[in-house]
Amino acid sequence: MIPLHAYLLLAAALFTLGVYGLLTRRNAVGILISVELMANAVNINLVAFSWAHGGTVGQVFALFAMAVTVAEVVVGLALVILLYRSRKDVLVDQARDLRH
Amino acid sequence: MSAPTPFHWGLIALLFPLVAAALIGLVAPLRRAGMPAALVSIAAALTSLLASAVLLAGQIDDPSRAVVEVVGWLPVAGSTMAEVGLRLDGISLSMLLIVTVVATCVQVFSLGYMADEPPSAFGRYYGFHSLFIFSMNLLVLAPNLLQAFAGWELVGLTSYLLIGFYYRKPSAAKAAVKAFWVTKFGDMGLLLALVFLFAQTGAFSWDVTLSGGWAVVITALVFFAVVGKSAQFPLHVWLPNAMEGPTPVSALLHAATMVAAGVFLVVRLDPLFVQAPETQMAMAWIGAFTALFAAVIAVVQKDIKRVLAYSTCSQLGYMICALGAGSVMAAYFHLTTHAFFKALLFLGAGSVIHAVHSNNLADMGGLWRKMRLTAVTFIIGALALAGVPGLAGFFSKDLVLEAVHERGLWLPWLALLAAAFLTAFYMGRVVFLAFFGTPSKAAEHAHESGPTMALPLVVLAVGSVGAGYFGSSFAELYGASYSFHMGLSGIVATSLGLAGLGLAWLVYGRRSLPESSFAFLAPIGKLAESALLDRMYTFMFRRVLLVLAGLIGWLDRYVVDGLINVIGWAAIEGGRRLRRVQTGNVQDYTYAVVVGTILFVIWGLWP
Amino acid sequence: MIGILSTLVAAPFLAAVVLLLVPDRARLLVRLISLTGAGVALALSVRVAADYDLDAGGFQMPELYPLVPAMGIDLRLAVDGWGVSLLLLTGVIIFAGVLASWTVKERSKDFFILLLVLVAGVCGVFVCQDLFVFFLFYEIAVLPMYLLIGIWGSSQGVTEAGPFRYVWKLFDIGGREYAAMKLTLMLLVGSAVLLVGILAMYFAAGGTTFDMEVLGATAYPRDMQLWVFPLLWLGFGSLAGVFPFHTWSPDGHASAPTAVSMLHAGVLMKLGAFGVMRVGMMMVPEGAVYWAPLVGGVAVVNIVYGALSAMSQRDLKYIIAYSSVSHMGIVMLGAATLTVNGWNGAVYQMFAHGIMTGLFFALVGIIYERAHTRFIPSMGGFAKVMPGVAVFFTLAGLSSLGMPGTAGFVAELMVFLGAWESASPWWTIPAILGAFLTAIYVLRAVRGIFWGPGPDPAFEDLADARGTEWGALVVLGAALVLFGCWPGLIVDFIDRVTPGYLGVLTQGVVP
Repeated sequence: MIPLHAYLLLAAALFTLGVYGLLTRRNAVGILISVELMANAVNINLVAFSWAHGGTVGQVFALFAMAVTVAEVVVGLALVILLYRSRKDVLVDQARDLRH
Repeated sequence: MSAPTPFHWGLIALLFPLVAAALIGLVAPLRRAGMPAALVSIAAALTSLLASAVLLAGQIDDPSRAVVEVVGWLPVAGSTMAEVGLRLDGISLSMLLIVTVVATCVQVFSLGYMADEPPSAFGRYYGFHSLFIFSMNLLVLAPNLLQAFAGWELVGLTSYLLIGFYYRKPSAAKAAVKAFWVTKFGDMGLLLALVFLFAQTGAFSWDVTLSGGWAVVITALVFFAVVGKSAQFPLHVWLPNAMEGPTPVSALLHAATMVAAGVFLVVRLDPLFVQAPETQMAMAWIGAFTALFAAVIAVVQKDIKRVLAYSTCSQLGYMICALGAGSVMAAYFHLTTHAFFKALLFLGAGSVIHAVHSNNLADMGGLWRKMRLTAVTFIIGALALAGVPGLAGFFSKDLVLEAVHERGLWLPWLALLAAAFLTAFYMGRVVFLAFFGTPSKAAEHAHESGPTMALPLVVLAVGSVGAGYFGSSFAELYGASYSFHMGLSGIVATSLGLAGLGLAWLVYGRRSLPESSFAFLAPIGKLAESALLDRMYTFMFRRVLLVLAGLIGWLDRYVVDGLINVIGWAAIEGGRRLRRVQTGNVQDYTYAVVVGTILFVIWGLWP
Repeated sequence: MIGILSTLVAAPFLAAVVLLLVPDRARLLVRLISLTGAGVALALSVRVAADYDLDAGGFQMPELYPLVPAMGIDLRLAVDGWGVSLLLLTGVIIFAGVLASWTVKERSKDFFILLLVLVAGVCGVFVCQDLFVFFLFYEIAVLPMYLLIGIWGSSQGVTEAGPFRYVWKLFDIGGREYAAMKLTLMLLVGSAVLLVGILAMYFAAGGTTFDMEVLGATAYPRDMQLWVFPLLWLGFGSLAGVFPFHTWSPDGHASAPTAVSMLHAGVLMKLGAFGVMRVGMMMVPEGAVYWAPLVGGVAVVNIVYGALSAMSQRDLKYIIAYSSVSHMGIVMLGAATLTVNGWNGAVYQMFAHGIMTGLFFALVGIIYERAHTRFIPSMGGFAKVMPGVAVFFTLAGLSSLGMPGTAGFVAELMVFLGAWESASPWWTIPAILGAFLTAIYVLRAVRGIFWGPGPDPAFEDLADARGTEWGALVVLGAALVLFGCWPGLIVDFIDRVTPGYLGVLTQGVVP
């Protein structure tokens, strides 16, 4: 049987990867993917704890979180597309038109 | 309706000129029409004259009568602090008559003199005149020092307005503000005296019972204002410049009435001045010095009006000196006679100026033949001023000299005697230069002035001859006694006066003595002329006061306000620096969050 | 039943609300509504004066509407003799101010709305008896000024020549935005300081009510009074132009449009002095007595320093603005004397100076609108083309230099008398000197603008005052002369309450 800490380590690794991507990517799509990684690391934790404690609340919650994440990605990608249309690129550090 | 009381007459005398001034000021069509405005103004002055004549007649019947009617004006703590009203007694009524007589004469004279002005300026002139008469009456009839101060300031204002009547002329504009500033400088003393008087007695009343230090302080402050208004040394500098105004204005304000207000004020406050021998001493010396000093300057003037202006300073010096000697009667008597003959001289000079269109004595000469009436009246005035026996100046000047002599003020007495000699000399000089000798080009086309100008000359000439004989009635009005007698002072002064006239005749009439033999006088005259003093005042104003003001202005803009600006700038600059932290780049913020989280974790795990 | 005082405060405010519903292009309607609002305020202030029972004295026509009972905040209105005279002043100034700004072109509706809101605030301060609401009205009166100057201010900045023009550029000094910002910020800092003082009193009195009567009757500990009074003095004083917090005034007044300058110098600066006396001196008497020598000393600095600064200016509006600084010094000096004469004089000087400076700014507005310059050396001989303006300018100048027959003289006289009776009598002498300095700079200005040859060919067809402008000038000029010749009309109201206040003030102080 796989011990709980193995899942947690996996989730931690995924989360760290996500943070790394979030901090280093210039491309908006890359940042969105990194955010997805972080969100899914959280989902793994939820499912893992739910399994370890017995019960289904955690798994249901993970399903909700996935749905919310999808919505978030949809909005995010819509923004990225708008950004692309107006600027012909999706580099976040270049999009500083509103800055004084 | 019952018969009018003295109070009613007083109100009429006071308020009619005000009503005239208000009408002329507020009803624009009247002012622009010119002549109707003048007639309104003259009618008001005549009414005022009539009322004051009625009042004075009543007063002579009952010299000790004093009508005082006041109403509350300013409350403090529920009671009345200051009143306004009328005080009709011998002192105020005789002065009132002088003011209204001279004012009426001058106004009638102005009809001719100012006839060339455009109608609106003509109306404005008469409006100012009416305002002046009101202000002067307000001062003269004042029941207390506060109302007198109001009148005092208002006559200063009208003086400013009338000197600056030709406001488009820069020299007139300068002269007007100079007159206002110099007299206002003196008026600070009067205002302070008001404050002290109120603090000491709780009222502004004329009848002050104070003695000791406060009496000296208050009288000294009042005298300071008198020095300004009555053009005594060293604040006399405005009077010669004031000649920029129309000549009738000089006659009324700057010879007969307004400048004499200082003397009037001291006469009114006599109970207080008696308690302050120190102030009286200062007055005697300053008055005598001014009398001599101004007479010396008058000798070398080329402008006929300036001769008369310095002569006015000099004669006011006589009055101040007499007040210093404690003789109210002498000062007031001289004030009265001086008002007549000096107004006469100024109006005569105005008539001459009107004829030759120049103030300069060199442009005159030989006018005797062209302007017989003006010449005769002017000569009467000049002889009266010179103190020729039988004319008004003779009586009053002798009385002044006697009073000074009696008081044992030897040096002032000698100065006044010397001034008497010089007075006769410079008046003789003016008469011979203007009316005799060879006419200049400008004088050849001169002709006698019209009846409106001639009539006032005759009236004033009669006054200049006759006023001297009413000494005892005047004395009764102020509760003094007077009887003519020829003392040492009188004999010396009269002979000196005749000698002065004789010398003037030798030099300017017969020309047996060349004018150049008086060349040695020129530097004295130049030195004594206000140029030096004037330059000092100008220096004080331009180089000290304005520089100080500039400095303060600079300090305010750059140091006081600069400090505020620096604070504002520091806030802006600080914000600008701090703003760099907010890059607007989300990743930078995330870095901060991650680093912060790690730090918190380490902090939490720290053993 | 709505009382007369709340109607008076609400009238300008209601007019402003009605204006919101009127289209901007109905220019005449906008002006008529504004004039009606101002006229109602003036009429009601006259009515208040007529209804005020002089025999009874004290506070009259009380009204009470609870606002926040939990904190003891109520809308508590009542008027005393001081309030009556200052309400009259406000009424006269706003009426004349609307007349004088008849020709505002740009966004005139918004302009009048702000003007009326401001006036509502001013009236509120004069009749309010609840310290919190007092402060609220005070802020309502101060804040519209920012927009009024920033939007409608004079676009002609002050161009500085000489070595310092770079410094000026660096600080962006001289524009109307600069002036508006400086004025608002300085006054808000003052308000913040003030709020500390107000809250200190509120909590020290138990924290249950802001009723000024209760707060005033509370005997605060002496230590507290000693630090609260300076807060109130400087907080209100920044609006009264107390040195060295006066520097918003020259820039602000120079940049503000005519009616705003009139209201600001004429009425708003009085709010500051009124606050110092009503809140500062009357509520913390021991502090007032302790600090009075300093207050008076600073006031004397104001008088002389302001006069000298005015003398050095060549921009007409700056001269008048600095003269306000100087004359507010006379108000503060009168307040610092803590004598009946001094206080009567201080309140009367508020009144007199309000009318006088309102007249001044109205005239300056007329001159500037015609000549498009405020630079005196480029003027001269204007009396020929605008005689009416010259007459009224001289009249205002005479009042400012204390000529008898104008209201300024009476006020100055009372202040000087009070100053000599006070604990520091020597203030009188520099104060009188200040009056002399006023004569110098005012008459220099008159000579420079109106006298002399000229005018310059460029100014030959300048028009005299016309239409509603005459209305403004005549109302203010007549008030100056009327209240100068018959000061009892106003001083009776003031004097009815002053001795009582001073009695309470000195009674509470143990020497």
